Amino acid sequence: MTVRIGVFICHCGHNIASTVDVEDVVEYAKGLPGVVYSGRNLYSCSQEGLTSIKESIKNNELDRVVVAACTPRTHEPVFRRACEQVGINKYLFEFVNIREHCSWIHTKEKEEATKKAKKLVAMGVAKVALLEPQEEGESDVVPKAVVIGAGLSGLSAAAALLNQGIETHIVEKEATVGGILRDIAVIGPDDVDAQELIRSLTETVEKSPKAHLHLSSKVTELKGFIGNFELTIEGGGKEETVQAGAVIVATGGVEHRPEGEYGFGELKGVITQLELEKILGSGELGARRIVIINCVGSRQPGREYCSRVCCNASLKNAVRVLDTDPDASVTIVHRDIMSCGTVAEELYREASDRGVRFVRYGLDQRPEVSSEGEQLVVEVFDETLDEKIDLESDLVVLATPIVSPGDSSETSKLLKVPRDKHGFFLEAHVKLRPVEFATDGVFVCGSARWPVSARECIWQGQAAAAKASIPISEGKVVIEAITAVVDPEKCAACGNCVISCPYDAIEIVDTESGRAARVSEAQCKGCGTCVAACHNDAIQQKGFSSRQLGAMIDALIRATAEVSR
Amino acid sequence: MEKKKVVVVGGGIAGIQASLDLADRGFEVHLVEKSPSIGGHMAQLDKTFPTNDCSMCILSPKMISCADHDNIVLHTYSELEAVEGAAPSFKVAIREKARYIDVDRCTACGDCVAKCPVKVPSEFEEGLTIRKAIYIPFPQAVPMKMTIDKDQCRKLTEDKCGVCKKVCQAEAVDYEQEDDIIELDAAAIVVANGFDMMDASTMPQYGFGVCKDVVTSLQLERILSASGPTSGHLQRPSDGNEPKKLGFVQCVGSRDTRTHSYCSSVCCMYATKEAILAREHAPDVQITIFYMDMRATGKGFQEFVSRAKDSYDVRYVRTRPAMIQSANGESGVLMSYETRGLAGEPVTEELDLLVLCPALVPAKDNYSLTKILGTELDADGFFVTPKLAYPTDTTVYGVLVCGFASGPIDIPDSVSQASAVAARAAEIIEGGRA
Amino acid sequence: MTEFKPDILAFCCNWCSYAGADLAGVNRLQMPTNVNVVRVMCSASVKPEYVIKALSQGIDGVLVLGCHIGDCHYMTGNHRTAKRIPLTAKVLEKVGIDSRRVKLDWVSAAEGDKFQQVITEFVEEIKGLGPNPLREVRF
Repeated sequence: MTVRIGVFICHCGHNIASTVDVEDVVEYAKGLPGVVYSGRNLYSCSQEGLTSIKESIKNNELDRVVVAACTPRTHEPVFRRACEQVGINKYLFEFVNIREHCSWIHTKEKEEATKKAKKLVAMGVAKVALLEPQEEGESDVVPKAVVIGAGLSGLSAAAALLNQGIETHIVEKEATVGGILRDIAVIGPDDVDAQELIRSLTETVEKSPKAHLHLSSKVTELKGFIGNFELTIEGGGKEETVQAGAVIVATGGVEHRPEGEYGFGELKGVITQLELEKILGSGELGARRIVIINCVGSRQPGREYCSRVCCNASLKNAVRVLDTDPDASVTIVHRDIMSCGTVAEELYREASDRGVRFVRYGLDQRPEVSSEGEQLVVEVFDETLDEKIDLESDLVVLATPIVSPGDSSETSKLLKVPRDKHGFFLEAHVKLRPVEFATDGVFVCGSARWPVSARECIWQGQAAAAKASIPISEGKVVIEAITAVVDPEKCAACGNCVISCPYDAIEIVDTESGRAARVSEAQCKGCGTCVAACHNDAIQQKGFSSRQLGAMIDALIRATAEVSR
Repeated sequence: MEKKKVVVVGGGIAGIQASLDLADRGFEVHLVEKSPSIGGHMAQLDKTFPTNDCSMCILSPKMISCADHDNIVLHTYSELEAVEGAAPSFKVAIREKARYIDVDRCTACGDCVAKCPVKVPSEFEEGLTIRKAIYIPFPQAVPMKMTIDKDQCRKLTEDKCGVCKKVCQAEAVDYEQEDDIIELDAAAIVVANGFDMMDASTMPQYGFGVCKDVVTSLQLERILSASGPTSGHLQRPSDGNEPKKLGFVQCVGSRDTRTHSYCSSVCCMYATKEAILAREHAPDVQITIFYMDMRATGKGFQEFVSRAKDSYDVRYVRTRPAMIQSANGESGVLMSYETRGLAGEPVTEELDLLVLCPALVPAKDNYSLTKILGTELDADGFFVTPKLAYPTDTTVYGVLVCGFASGPIDIPDSVSQASAVAARAAEIIEGGRA
Repeated sequence: MTEFKPDILAFCCNWCSYAGADLAGVNRLQMPTNVNVVRVMCSASVKPEYVIKALSQGIDGVLVLGCHIGDCHYMTGNHRTAKRIPLTAKVLEKVGIDSRRVKLDWVSAAEGDKFQQVITEFVEEIKGLGPNPLREVRF
């Protein structure tokens, strides 16, 4: 069979072209087997780029397409769609990554990077020549969702799902809902009663006939895939199996306990911010002189991140102390005040105007807390005054970061979703897919992803609910055609594939060619484990056949010889 | 059953994401963008913090998805004209302004642009270069169609010229075209009209418009961009030379009670990003960021600032400039400021190029939109969102808001807010039904 | 003699290692140019035959990178990889190919720096081993 392959190399502005000699790669690709057209674009993914690709496909009667640009993980759908629009089956498209895997990691080695780009393109061309058109299957979606965690973000997600009429299971490990918010009286800077907010969200859940609240419970197993998850929920000595189309992770964060720092756990009157919240909530603030130290255990080596919410909590609590006791003195010892936006910055000004003292310290000269009889003394080098000062106080409040809860690694393993180095869940794309995981049908919101304010928790919960509601309202999900297929002629019915399949998707059946394995397409997730288990090369994965991968190896060897000449 | 309609006002990243989620959710979305292309400010950015992902690379697929989506109708170069009624049955009128181009015929070949004699500063390039009176705002524009700027076109203003019509082989130019009013019933309306950058020349003490080598951060963004006016070469405006000393001034007009008292939220991080990029483009440049508080509160932000300090030698100086003036004659900038602490000495430093990070202010059309929608603006001019439990609700039921329109916010938060809008719209439209 | 530039093939699973490699790119982590990545859905789909084919035709080294044990997107796929690749290495020894030319490692989607480290170290190791003797009989 003769193929007519088109190769399109992307400049990606400077991103590729400043390292890889794009023109040279275009010329090289012209000589590759099956290639009838090779060209380049400033930005292949722009409408202009796509239009020119589509025109080249038509003008040159191409039947297969290679784009060498960035990563298939973000851009494959764009080019596949373009192929479909001009009548090329989208599985006859191959993506070659010469940005993340080449120009960006070899910025100073232009010559070698160009050679590597040629090799990668040659491998892509070799594969695309052997690709076959595929049809996609469809699978039904269970019209239910599961939300793990019933803190503010989880409750908000659940409420948004229920309000759309979607049956929702909410799984909370504690005996009560509310999470961190249970310890907070007033949410700043909006000045909203936190308990009232929890109560109204709980009411939405309790009133809804479609809600199932599992308290003191845990998800212990997750099987399946988007549209058809099966979760085991364990609680109160019972085990329940629940089907769901989508899963939302809203497991939140916890306040860091600064044991041994600044006298915490040793000196009376040294407490955390959440403990101050509780005291303020009880209305029994005995102290008159209060010092709040910010960035305790954060923005320092070992835990480098800023926890985003502590400055605003300090400001809110400083003002609340003054509301309770106008004659109290409050000092915030800080490194930078992170009051971003309109309301928070206004709160900062209000605190300042009402006499809250702000003392700035540096990481190299941290404050020290000691006790002198009944009172505490905070010794700090004030960067603005450029001198060391002593702050006498009755109460020292340590503003510590929100950290990932201890069991988040368990959740991560259970759901097969990644975490970052701080233990927070890693979304599909930090910029444009903030509430999605790379795994379809699993979403994240709230402080499980990153420390966030109450307002952010709520809208992220709603955002995750929106994403979860899409496949549920659609009712169907498309199955990518990367499933395994058996050639019964070659199959010896040994059963190796049956044992290796993690999804029990393969069985041995009678066929026209005798006993042979058969793959259930709806159950196959396209991992290809069976392919490697087969001794006879009788199972192939669509889009990743042994011929295609073998051709890539051959192409690499050939291209290496060609480019080093 | 006929699909329920939602009107989204504003085609930046927030409006694009809201449209995509609403469309995927099964609603018919009418995306109304006042300029000739969707994309918004994000399309102007070179890279995005804190990963330095190429902005256009991640945005462009979303723009194209909007154009291709079966459930999205794009109304570019259009404005919200009138709204009557209440959720879930608003009556909405959209004014599709005359482009003087038959978009079905225009192939965006550019023959007309080459011949058009009228040159005006390019909005997309922040005035650093020119565009013609007939133009496509930027190479990745969606839709890829020409627009004639009726205030600049000599045919439309003085009835002279007419060359674009003569050279257009597709016969797409139509000087007689008139505005079109589209009327439709919408169940919900989403405001996502973003922000404007404060005109830095309104604060002449910062030197913008006075010294040639004082630019805004959006201008630098274009200078750093491969598709920008200098093809990504770091050059200063006065003489085109590569600067050796580059400074950034934070909080120009923001966190300042005389102008805009709020914090614009994103400037600390984009200045850090631009500093890193400038250094990558010109490895010899020494960079200083003059700031008040370094607000790096998002995921990976603090690490990003550390990387700027440790790997790119970016110097962070906490101060506010006292005086900015031209150095010697035409080129360079002299900046006076006080160093750390009250005991600090006043210092005057010479910089080759100074970048201002001006306040990001409510979009100009917020006031007129508020008139049409009946919503309220806060003291700063952003849309009021009074209910904590529904962060995207404005003061009018069924009119939702996301992105910078309700206050300073970065891209990921705009995106998640946009998705939240989709959930809230679905609640309002489909409440109680699955 | 010219400097030895090894040719290396790396099979990366779509969900973790390929994403980790992307992250290394996004973070501009610099590394040797010798490694060419092939994307597969799961490290468990890498047939021993691919490794043997590559090495017997003169590729200097083969990396198989997957999700960390317990993190596999396909539940237990990488448990099989963990058994298969060492076994493949034994087969290679038997036919006279240095088994250090194949390496299995785990790189998560968050480990751009680990990807850089694995690539850099493997290239050094292969440089230490010198060219694959089967290079000469390549064609």
